[in-house]
Amino acid sequence: MENIIDVQHLSYRYQDTDGRPALDDISFTVRAGEWLALVGHNGSGKSTLARAVDGLLPFSEGTVTVGGIKLTPETVWEVREKIGMIFQNPDNQFVGATVEDDVAFGLENRQISRAEMVPRVKAALDEVGMQTFAQREPGALSGGQKQRVALAGIVAIAPDILILDEATSMLDPQGRRDMLALVQRLREEKHLTVISITHDIDEAASADRILVIDDGKLVEEAQPAEIFAQGERLVHLGLDVPFTAKLKQALQDRGITVPAGYQTTTEMEEWLWQSLSNT
Amino acid sequence: MAITFEHVGYTYQAGTPMATPALSDISFTVPDHGYLAIIGHTGSGKSTLIQQINALLKPTTGKITVDDFTITPQTTNADLKPLRRHVGMVFQFPESQLFEETIQRDIAFGPQNFGVSEEEANQRALDMLKTVGLDESFADRSPFELSGGQMRRVAIAGVLAMQPKVLILDEPTAGLDPQGRQEMMTLFNRLHQEQGLTIILVTHQMEDVAAYADEVAVMQAGKLLTCATPQEVFSDPTWVQNSDIDVPRAAKFAQRLGKRGVKWDQLPLTADQLADQLVQHWPGMGGQHE
Repeated sequence: MENIIDVQHLSYRYQDTDGRPALDDISFTVRAGEWLALVGHNGSGKSTLARAVDGLLPFSEGTVTVGGIKLTPETVWEVREKIGMIFQNPDNQFVGATVEDDVAFGLENRQISRAEMVPRVKAALDEVGMQTFAQREPGALSGGQKQRVALAGIVAIAPDILILDEATSMLDPQGRRDMLALVQRLREEKHLTVISITHDIDEAASADRILVIDDGKLVEEAQPAEIFAQGERLVHLGLDVPFTAKLKQALQDRGITVPAGYQTTTEMEEWLWQSLSNT
Repeated sequence: MAITFEHVGYTYQAGTPMATPALSDISFTVPDHGYLAIIGHTGSGKSTLIQQINALLKPTTGKITVDDFTITPQTTNADLKPLRRHVGMVFQFPESQLFEETIQRDIAFGPQNFGVSEEEANQRALDMLKTVGLDESFADRSPFELSGGQMRRVAIAGVLAMQPKVLILDEPTAGLDPQGRQEMMTLFNRLHQEQGLTIILVTHQMEDVAAYADEVAVMQAGKLLTCATPQEVFSDPTWVQNSDIDVPRAAKFAQRLGKRGVKWDQLPLTADQLADQLVQHWPGMGGQHE
């Protein structure tokens, strides 16, 4: 599969006088259709990295190529066409007085005719299950509903890449699960490439690959199972320790020999059942 | 400080055509030095409930007792100042309420507002900085140059500087990274253990309920479904399913093993409790296995 994003030797300082760069010589690629999770503790630089890819930061060193287009001040609008971004706080991203106005905003910016806009807005709201809320005021919606509207706004402009910047972190557990399921479905239907910046272990588990950012550097790149096998150290990477790892640690503390690596809950259940039955 | 709710009801915009009932017939007691978790879906009435405790919202019906204070629909604001000094409230995203030029002044604002001298309030601010895990070098900095997690600590220090006896926490770890969450919950538990603060925690994190709370109140559509120990609340799978609440991961996992025939003395709610019981069953580990 081709690389839809190619970042090479990217560095960035918020101010020239900053001793420590916010991004320090970062290189990675993302394949079209891949789900990539960016993890790291607060302040590690993961949001800065996502913003650099979207052309929101004037980085001075390195190159970012999105869909074959090299990001420069001249191409930044062309690059942004390809990327939809959802942020942590849904309240900070509404512009429309009604839900449908808000979804239409991106289309208006692209000078889409009204005749084309109306069905696209409707279809986008259908897609995220918010059609009955079209006339409602965005402020009156729940957090989960707000993020769905934000997703509809992105569906309407049909980008190739979706970036979620801690987009589920302010939702309750049910809202979080619904949102992840929706992103998963949209990704399959629309062949989206997804980059999610997250602290949530379930969201990170949805990814094909995880990049760990620490102190502005890319320190690790691996599949979720490999990352999750690190047990207690995960907290320092900005992730929760998966339940199975906590349980293994607790069993080990009590003198029980546990299998190496990471187990899903199903694998763990199977192993425990086998061990308990093994007399 | 003990807290008692007796048949408390609350209606937003009562007596108008817009009247919306938010709480109905709520009764429960939190003992002095208790730790109560309140769970329930978004919109179930959790935040409305906790705002009754320091009378930011006064009940439409019923009565609330906090130690010697009684709050009824007739209570006037003038009566409430001593109550509010003892009930510290940490709202969701409390960092959005920071406003002073320096961190020390922001933390000292509350106590000074309640008549504490400037000198003493400043000293308390320094003490509270330490309590929330920030050193004195932060005192003269602007709260607005801090990270989100640090800003939240400063906001909490501001509440603690009032030296409350009850601490009400409305999703205090929302939006923090896992390390920040862990540190924050450890801090509250320390205040509970060492200083005997009564804690009321609104949360969606069932792991925190299992690890810290003595009792858990389950809210649904403005009603209190139950108020009991986490063990009692999470142990009945049928009730849990019908009430549409989450259970801790360890409990969910234990129930899956239970379906395969593993017998639990009582349902484990944490990884440690689960491991304790698994050792009992483990072949060759002193466990009697059938």
